[in-house]
Amino acid sequence: MTLQELMQRAGMWRGGELPPLATHPTGFAGLDAILPGGGWPQAGLVEILTASSGIGALRLVLPMLAAASRAGDWIVWVDPPHIPYAPALDAGGVALSRVLLVDLPTRSTASGEDDEILWACEQALRFADCAVALMWLGATTPALPMRRLQLAAEAGATTGIVFRPATCAAQSSPALLRLALETPAGEEGSTPLALEVKVIKARGTHHGARCRL
Amino acid sequence: MAASLPTTITRSARLSVDAEAVPCARGASPTPARPAARTRAPLWLHLHLPHLALDVLTRGGDGERACVLVEPGVRRPQVLLSNRHAAALGIRAGMPLAAAHALGQLGVLERDERAEQAALVQLCQWALQFTSEVSAVAPDGLVLEVDGSLKLFGGLESLLQQLRGGLRRLGYRADYAVAPTPLAAALLARARPRAIVRDKNQLPDCLAHLPLTALRLEPAVQAALGQLGVRTLGDCRRLPRNGLARRFSPLLLEHLDRLFGQRADPRPGFEPPRRFASAIELPWEVDSARALLVAGERLLGELGGYLRGSSALTQRLRWHLVDRDGGRECFDLALAEPSRDEQHMLLLLRETLMRKRLAVPVRAIGLDVADLTSQRAPHMQDLFTPRRQGHAEGYAAFADRLRARCGERALRGLGVLPQHRPEAAFGWRRPLLNAGRMTTLAEQGAGGRQVRRPLWLLERPLRLAVRDSQPWFEGPLALVPGRERIQSSWWEEESLARDYFTAITARGGRLWVFRELGGARRWYLHGIFE
Repeated sequence: MTLQELMQRAGMWRGGELPPLATHPTGFAGLDAILPGGGWPQAGLVEILTASSGIGALRLVLPMLAAASRAGDWIVWVDPPHIPYAPALDAGGVALSRVLLVDLPTRSTASGEDDEILWACEQALRFADCAVALMWLGATTPALPMRRLQLAAEAGATTGIVFRPATCAAQSSPALLRLALETPAGEEGSTPLALEVKVIKARGTHHGARCRL
Repeated sequence: MAASLPTTITRSARLSVDAEAVPCARGASPTPARPAARTRAPLWLHLHLPHLALDVLTRGGDGERACVLVEPGVRRPQVLLSNRHAAALGIRAGMPLAAAHALGQLGVLERDERAEQAALVQLCQWALQFTSEVSAVAPDGLVLEVDGSLKLFGGLESLLQQLRGGLRRLGYRADYAVAPTPLAAALLARARPRAIVRDKNQLPDCLAHLPLTALRLEPAVQAALGQLGVRTLGDCRRLPRNGLARRFSPLLLEHLDRLFGQRADPRPGFEPPRRFASAIELPWEVDSARALLVAGERLLGELGGYLRGSSALTQRLRWHLVDRDGGRECFDLALAEPSRDEQHMLLLLRETLMRKRLAVPVRAIGLDVADLTSQRAPHMQDLFTPRRQGHAEGYAAFADRLRARCGERALRGLGVLPQHRPEAAFGWRRPLLNAGRMTTLAEQGAGGRQVRRPLWLLERPLRLAVRDSQPWFEGPLALVPGRERIQSSWWEEESLARDYFTAITARGGRLWVFRELGGARRWYLHGIFE
């Protein structure tokens, strides 16, 4: 059996040849280059893992939020850790009339997510007119709820950005795309802040790609 | 007739001209070509609820217990009606209650005539969705004129199916019959349920075998007729009319005429009230809110029928729970936009009840809807706008679900306010409503000042410890040169004077910190740049 015949068989596919993924452009050229499809996937979960807060994870998605809100779609923030500051969002180009915050009465502290938060995440992902849903989950969320969220994101054609701590990088996750963010060593004092993005999981051959923003 | 055209066309001859034009068999009289005026023959549907007295009391429960109905206040009560489970145990109407108890575990309910009347009114209201001519037939039936609705509902069979399904969902058992007159429909529903008679001329044959008792005459008249040897309706019909009118009252004759369609039988139409109010008494007390879902679903079914019948929409449902002392607990279900979607309301009710904790056991649940809006014309959408079809509905359903499960304040929007104080420079708003005082930075004309603001703001500024005269947060903070001084005016209540800095943590994150200018000159963390 030659290689050609093997390739003809149904059920065989090459890693580099995948059907094109519908994406939102990220707004950063370097990042577009290393992501499959050239941007954030339009339907599916994206996990962004950060070692510490404040290094720029939200800034990474800000151009996409601005573009989606100006196009008239809803942006849903599910139980954010702090208050999203409206003047800063406005300066970043986000149309505030399309921003929805979901505030839940109970907050999870250390271990495990409340069922309420996961339910609200799922509703936001299923909401067809929502383009982006931002969620903050912990390292101990089990795989089954994550899988439900992934399916909900596909059903509602929503980009679900999940911010999680970097300690769960070793766990498997059903997200379509996983990125790890860190500040490059030796550049702590610089402004604007430099950020190093590493692709942990992606469709196709983008695993391990890095870029510096 | 010879096929020769007459030379003069007179009025009477015109008909014969037409008649000759129509080929017809020899000897047969040709029908005139002018079509007869079509008159609408009314068709009446009678719903007979023989178990109404029991159903109205048990429909709040799940129907799994054997129940019987007794007359209250009687010394030796007898079973009036029994439900399915009780009948399976062998309990029949007329049995003494003591004997019935011997046959098995029973729930005993006392008859409540007021509830029956209220239920009949509710049923009439509910039936308005099928036709605009509904009339109650006390004590246990209602009659609908359905000929005008047949086209809308796709035929009699389809209408009957929807009716049966709806009544089942409401929790009632009913028999029905269809006939050209309301009285005939009532008789048939009681004696031969599911009979359908469409032609008035078939009525005498259909009704001939029914016993005289089906007419529900006064006992004296009934006995007198019995002495004459009249047993069935057919016999009654054959009696001479003047004799009947003289011997008994003319009213009897009129009754028979109305029955067989020789005389019109107008019925007073049912007028729906302006607001919807219904309640279900539960057969036994419940102390968990989940058990109220069955009754709530029935009430929503009634509400759906009422809204469809009145072509109205509603945005607020007011529920109240009554405990055994008469105390009331109310809660509201608000919808993001007016609708009459029963399934959506049921979903919201389920979410609310799942989370509700009852302080006292509940005996009855009621629903009041006063906030009615008439149906609007559907939104004229641009045919070519992609993906905006479900815009309003999608948001409304999402918002309703979230608010029902997580509370009224679960969903909020953001806006910018023109204020110097950072914590006052933003505000919460209801999404989709007018922005009000909120503007955007562009409108404020703040473009000249290039100020950087953090993407996150802490709810309350966090006091920072100071070590070696440096503010400290998970490590020493390095301040970036360049400060912003914010001072609010002295005439404002909480005047503040702060110097804001950008600080870099040991791990590389950037924070927004400030130092008070007066007082203790403490350091605070106010925001996080991302």
